[in-house]
Amino acid sequence: MNSPTDEDLVANWRDEPAPLLPLLHAFHDRDGYLSEESIAVVSAGLKIPIAELFATITFYHHFAREAPGQSAPRVCTGPICALHGADALLASLDGATPMPCAGRCDGPIPVIKGQQVLIGTNAEELAPTASPLPVANPDGYEECVFADIRAEGRSTLAGYRQSGGYTALQQALTQSPPELIALITDSQLAGRGGAGFPTGQKWQAVANASGEPKSVVCNADEGEPGCFKDRAVLEHDPHAVLEGMLLAAFATGSTRGFIYLRYEYPETCALLETAIAEARTANLIGDNILGSDFSCELYIRRGAGAYICGEEGSLLNSLEGKHPYPRNRPPFPVTHGFEDLPTAVNNVETLVSVPQIVRRGAEWYRSLGLDGRVGTKVISLSGDVQRPGNYEVPFGLPLKTLLYQWAGGPAAGRQIQAVTMAGLSGGFLAGEDLDAPLDEPSIRERGSMLGAGGIMVFDDSRNIVDVARQAMAFFAEESCGKCFPCRIGTQRLEERLSGGGPTDLATWQTEITDIGSAMKATSACGLGMAAPFITDSLLKYFPEQVAQHVQS
Amino acid sequence: MSSNGIQHQLILDGEEVNFSAGETLYEIAERHRKEIPTLCYDPRLEPFGACRLCVVELEGARNPVASCTTKATAGMVVKTQSEPVEKYRKTLLEMVVSENREVEVDPLRGYASQELGKLTDRYQARTGRFKGAQSGQLHATDDNPFIFRDYDLCISCNRCVRVCAEQEGDHAIAAMGRGFHKQITTEFNGLLKDSSCTFCGQCVQTCPTGALADKKALRAAELPEPLQKTRSVCPYCGVGCSVDLLSKGEKLVGIHPAMDGPANEGALCVKGQFAFDFVQHTDRLSMPMVRGDDGELHETDWDTALDRAADGFAKTLKKHGRHSIYGIASGRTPSEANYTMQQFIRRGYGTHYIDNCSRA
Ligand SMILES: Cc1cc2nc3c(=O)[nH]c(=O)nc-3n(C[C@H](O)[C@H](O)[C@H](O)COP(=O)(O)O)c2cc1C
Ligand code: SF4
Ligand code: SF4
Ligand code: SF4
Ligand code: FES
Ligand code: FES
Repeated sequence: MNSPTDEDLVANWRDEPAPLLPLLHAFHDRDGYLSEESIAVVSAGLKIPIAELFATITFYHHFAREAPGQSAPRVCTGPICALHGADALLASLDGATPMPCAGRCDGPIPVIKGQQVLIGTNAEELAPTASPLPVANPDGYEECVFADIRAEGRSTLAGYRQSGGYTALQQALTQSPPELIALITDSQLAGRGGAGFPTGQKWQAVANASGEPKSVVCNADEGEPGCFKDRAVLEHDPHAVLEGMLLAAFATGSTRGFIYLRYEYPETCALLETAIAEARTANLIGDNILGSDFSCELYIRRGAGAYICGEEGSLLNSLEGKHPYPRNRPPFPVTHGFEDLPTAVNNVETLVSVPQIVRRGAEWYRSLGLDGRVGTKVISLSGDVQRPGNYEVPFGLPLKTLLYQWAGGPAAGRQIQAVTMAGLSGGFLAGEDLDAPLDEPSIRERGSMLGAGGIMVFDDSRNIVDVARQAMAFFAEESCGKCFPCRIGTQRLEERLSGGGPTDLATWQTEITDIGSAMKATSACGLGMAAPFITDSLLKYFPEQVAQHVQS
Repeated sequence: MSSNGIQHQLILDGEEVNFSAGETLYEIAERHRKEIPTLCYDPRLEPFGACRLCVVELEGARNPVASCTTKATAGMVVKTQSEPVEKYRKTLLEMVVSENREVEVDPLRGYASQELGKLTDRYQARTGRFKGAQSGQLHATDDNPFIFRDYDLCISCNRCVRVCAEQEGDHAIAAMGRGFHKQITTEFNGLLKDSSCTFCGQCVQTCPTGALADKKALRAAELPEPLQKTRSVCPYCGVGCSVDLLSKGEKLVGIHPAMDGPANEGALCVKGQFAFDFVQHTDRLSMPMVRGDDGELHETDWDTALDRAADGFAKTLKKHGRHSIYGIASGRTPSEANYTMQQFIRRGYGTHYIDNCSRA
């Protein structure tokens, strides 16, 4: 088969919405890297100044600019894989480069080669492996996100329909968008991507905003270390994501939807493409969906390796082909989103909850939480527990129940030293604070946050200062570099956790807390605001380890 | 004050003040002489929100907000100075100093080059805290004659990138990489002369640290006389950009665009910015000259020279007719002289062969 010419590729994408990323991927997939010639062709084809295009490409760590490029293995050296021997695996593979957490912390180490993710703990073991299906919780709490995910053939259109799929859409289409928004508002569903913003309110704002076409964006960037819930949903229940997006589009008056999928999930991308094709054939996507006057197109856009592109402003800039810095807010995406038009950006988990709520009712959803709390949250649990994986917990479940009863606790003879919350963004919880119930206010009270729901467990054999160092190295590497407090602060904190900085303990601590306070108060987005949770909680729970680190 | 006549109010440091729709908190505060520190701000550019020095307290907001990017809304209660905000500003400046090779730089580097130094003095931020790696790296191989790319001093404010894109429309430079490794670059990280750069010098003049520096002006760095500024108009073309001539003693050493120049608002082109060497060049004529019988040019007085010219015109006209005369007026002359030249050619010789060299 002849490989496509430059002109073919440009012609394929030039008139599509959000064309830059797919066009760059097309060149990257064809040649294995982005040559200067290709970059010049893309620059001319999409009319993006070449200096800016070049700089933007350097922002994404998976775009190679020379051979062997894409075919060279990339090995996850994230916090959990580091525990599983990632450094040794990295060293044993020819031409391999490290990458941050690739969203598979519930298994052995992931290695990306071309369009495949192989997993294993040593070079011989590496093999493609499907995401584990989330297990039902041992206490029999009712689920929402995972309610039907284990149904036979659920990932196919037929299987999805057999287990009630697309009936929510059908039902909604017989009602009005305001009724759907009222239902979601009434359910008190809130964003599961980290910020917890009420979904009904967000949709209402998009519906109210002027400007067309409106868009929905499914945020499937899942870049937070220790988070792998969206991948499980996307792989095992792709149609639920599409149905959620269609409902969001119907409610908000949007006619197009984008799934922004992280680069590290290539197989998921293929699955989603199949699901979209199936749904289109069944008139679930496209014009006059199911015979109604509602029309909506869905598109997949693959990221290229940048944690910050999960932040909604950065994500929208990335989709638009701009340099992916976060945007100054206000204005918010609900009024000035994709192409400056009203846009609802929602997390995968938020969106898949919607069809269930439509089918089962707002009151049902509200009743899922414990002790008056509302709804459920999927927790990606990994690290030093016996049964890592995705668990859907009712809000209010004690963290300890999850850690010990559900996940089997640490290995025999070990104690849990600390867990990280919100992936890494919530810093550590340890000691008595492990008694906390799992809900945002309770976790915030303890100086942390639940966020997107990644929890990584570190037992007493682990060097906690070194875990903190790796965490800060991640934030420093992923800082977009736009705002001063985060760009400089993450670097200085990392240096101080790596043995740099003052050797006098009090001076070291003042530097850490002064940098941290300035970052939390003045950073331009959540990355810089969250990074100091790591150092704050390290100082709070582990003063002796810190003293030893600084003075040695 | 308000273009649409509608006035809104907010409370600024305890005082009720008016503003018009679209104004930012920074703009309002500046009108009230609040002296909010900034590093990434240039009033000509879209606010960027990078340095975060301009943060102010806004009642009801969880964190201070960047005043340069925050649009005012009626009823806001804003405090431009408070103990925590001043502490953040100082910490941020200490952090900036820690990434930068030096803060005190020669003002010859550029118009805005003293900004960082002045702010670090105001906040007494050269404390030596937060030591660590340096961020920017000098682009040592770019040996163009105009711009010194001394990124050792770069603080990643993106003003150069933004002025190039927004003011010049050249998009010659951009910021590559992420985080602390971010660097200002050109296409494929090459040389300015191989990029779409026109050497207008705008990036140099907006750089708040002197990381982009005027190489020609820096030739005079060692001259002992004090630096003086004289307002003038660029002599090159009909746009008439205002400039501040930089001199040391009797020597013209550089040019700054006048930020308040009515025609240019701080912009210049490569000629107005960098091509001033002719002024004090040894080859520059200071007396009229006529060619003698020996074929060489000789200095003479104006009457002799003008007679020779008139004579030459008369002879040519007689021999070849009126269309053998073609006048090109100099773009460096004032309008009155251009008008006279046009009259001279049209009326004097009856030809319309008259042009002007300002075709930039
Ligand atoms: C640094 C950073 C990274 C983020 N990454 C993600 C992400 O990968 N996925 C996600 O859904 N939200 C992410 N968010 C949150 C989004 O900005 C946004 O709040 C969310 O997608 C909104 O969807 P929701 O309301 O359904 O939660 C991130 C935020 C920040 C500050
Ligand atoms: S906080 Fe960090 S990631 Fe966010 S805008 Fe600032 S530099 Fe970029
Ligand atoms: S000299 Fe002018 S054109 Fe060249 S990079 Fe600077 S601003 Fe852009
Ligand atoms: S070179 Fe100067 S203007 Fe450009 S980013 Fe660096 S400090 Fe700012
Ligand atoms: S997959 Fe490696 S740390 Fe998450
Ligand atoms: S001046 Fe507002 S952030 Fe720099």
